[in-house]
Amino acid sequence: MTTPASTAVAVGRAQRAPRSGGLQRVQRTVARLTLPVLLLLPALVIIVGLVGYPLGKTIWLSFTETRLGDLADGSGEWVGLDNFKEALTDAQLRTSLINTVVFGTLCVAGTMVLGFAVALLLNQKLKGRGFFALAMLLPWAVPALAASAIWKWLFDDRYGFVNWALVNIGFDRFQDFAWFADRETAYVAIFVTVVWQSFPFVALSLLAGLQTLPKDTLDAASVDGATAWQRFRLVTLPLLRPIVAVLVVFSTIWDFKIFDQVYAMAQGVPDRAADTAAVAAYREAFALGHYGLGSAVAVILFLVLLVFSLVYVRLIGREGRT
Amino acid sequence: MSRLLTARWWLKRGWMYGAMLVFTAFALFPVYWVAITSLKPRSEIYTKTPDLWPSDPQWSRYPDVLGEGHVGRALLNSLIVAGATTVICLVVGALAAYALTRFDIPLRKTLMMLVLITQMFPLVVLVIPLFVLMREADMLGTYWGLVAAYLAFTVPLAIWVMRGFLMTIPEELEHAARIDGATRLGAMWRVILPLAAPGLATTAVLCFLEGWKEFMLALTFMNEETRKTVPVVLQSFVGRGDTDWGSIMATSVLYTLPVAAVFLVLRKHLMRGTTAGAVKG
Repeated sequence: MTTPASTAVAVGRAQRAPRSGGLQRVQRTVARLTLPVLLLLPALVIIVGLVGYPLGKTIWLSFTETRLGDLADGSGEWVGLDNFKEALTDAQLRTSLINTVVFGTLCVAGTMVLGFAVALLLNQKLKGRGFFALAMLLPWAVPALAASAIWKWLFDDRYGFVNWALVNIGFDRFQDFAWFADRETAYVAIFVTVVWQSFPFVALSLLAGLQTLPKDTLDAASVDGATAWQRFRLVTLPLLRPIVAVLVVFSTIWDFKIFDQVYAMAQGVPDRAADTAAVAAYREAFALGHYGLGSAVAVILFLVLLVFSLVYVRLIGREGRT
Repeated sequence: MSRLLTARWWLKRGWMYGAMLVFTAFALFPVYWVAITSLKPRSEIYTKTPDLWPSDPQWSRYPDVLGEGHVGRALLNSLIVAGATTVICLVVGALAAYALTRFDIPLRKTLMMLVLITQMFPLVVLVIPLFVLMREADMLGTYWGLVAAYLAFTVPLAIWVMRGFLMTIPEELEHAARIDGATRLGAMWRVILPLAAPGLATTAVLCFLEGWKEFMLALTFMNEETRKTVPVVLQSFVGRGDTDWGSIMATSVLYTLPVAAVFLVLRKHLMRGTTAGAVKG
């Protein structure tokens, strides 16, 4: 015979049992997550606290008609997607976005190839390795202003070392050749400058990666008769995958955002034809005072980078597997 | 016989030295050009046939830029800002990178992407909102203000780069240490950290150089002459009537030297000699 009271108790128990199980699960989850969250917290506070507002503001401004002068007292009128339409239809701005993707990709490829070559060489037991490594790292430390100035000088049409050297090895058409007069040749000079400044970091990171690799695996491959190329392709490269992914993602971000070198070296190219997106955003926002439109160009650049990064991380990162 | 040996040596090792020399020349020639231009008298800087060595080295340019050009003070400022950025960034970044590598955190991929997003906006459009933020926080013109701004951009970088290195270290090593009685943090400190030394050193150099070379934020935030960093002073030589290339190059040399010193100090960690046989020739 069941009294209402005992039914209530039974029902209570029945209800409480899963609930206390859930509570335990929550407690376990909390306990499991406490340490990682504590470890993450300082970084998140710094990043969100400092970049959150500027990023949000830039995105907001990209939807408004804001002049540089309006910034002091807030933002201008809401215009929806007008700035984005203009950025994608205006010939100069559209060119700057295409330039960014094409030229940026070439820079990433050049940097990665040279960086890999140098890292593999420095990982050999060569005499004077320390000196070579130090020499390779120096371009990284040269300020961008000085680097752009020096390379602009080396590529100078009349007094430049590059033309002098090319003429001397038999390419007569480089006599007084004007590198900065049109887009393609200006990009050759800027490409050399960018790769010169960015390969040291890639080489250094890959070298550090090569040195953290488990020696036994490589030795085993060697004993099994793998050639140097096979060892590189089948053992070294897959093991280095996480680092290569990071380097490609960051090189892409840096080279797509490239500003200093293009600003310093591509001014002579007519019609702003060699501008990259960051330079175009800067010109719109500051020189021409269209801060809203400049922000829109920056947001489009961001979206392009987001897509590229997601694809890279998926293709070479193989996140879930590690 | 000996000629055969030479040919074999060249095939096996010599071409590596050859390639190394070519890359080194590419890396060093412009640096060399900066150095000799810093010593050339004005008349020799603008010349049709550039000389590979200055006829009359102007050593006095160095004390000049250090004193009058305020470069001495600027070097100290840069060192303070870049040094503080590096130390804080390494600690904060290492902890976060470890958490994102070894723990099964919900939304981990999303977090990593969010961290990365901060890098995807060109700095030029972020300068004004950041300036407003710093003004509200009353941190304009202070070392901490600039360090905080740099941290916002270097910490994400450090997290990603260090995570890349941590992922190459087998987790089993850590399990072994914990079975032997080490706590999680103990294992991180004693097992992972030493193994990750090359990655940490690389990240340290990266963070240091970000702070050392940054121009736009330093220009906007630091108005007082005594708080200016080197890139800002360097740019000021461009504006004065005509560009003073001699001073720019001399300053660039002074500016590169501390970094070369950092490379030398960290060299052991950047390139450990323990790789013998990693890639046998």
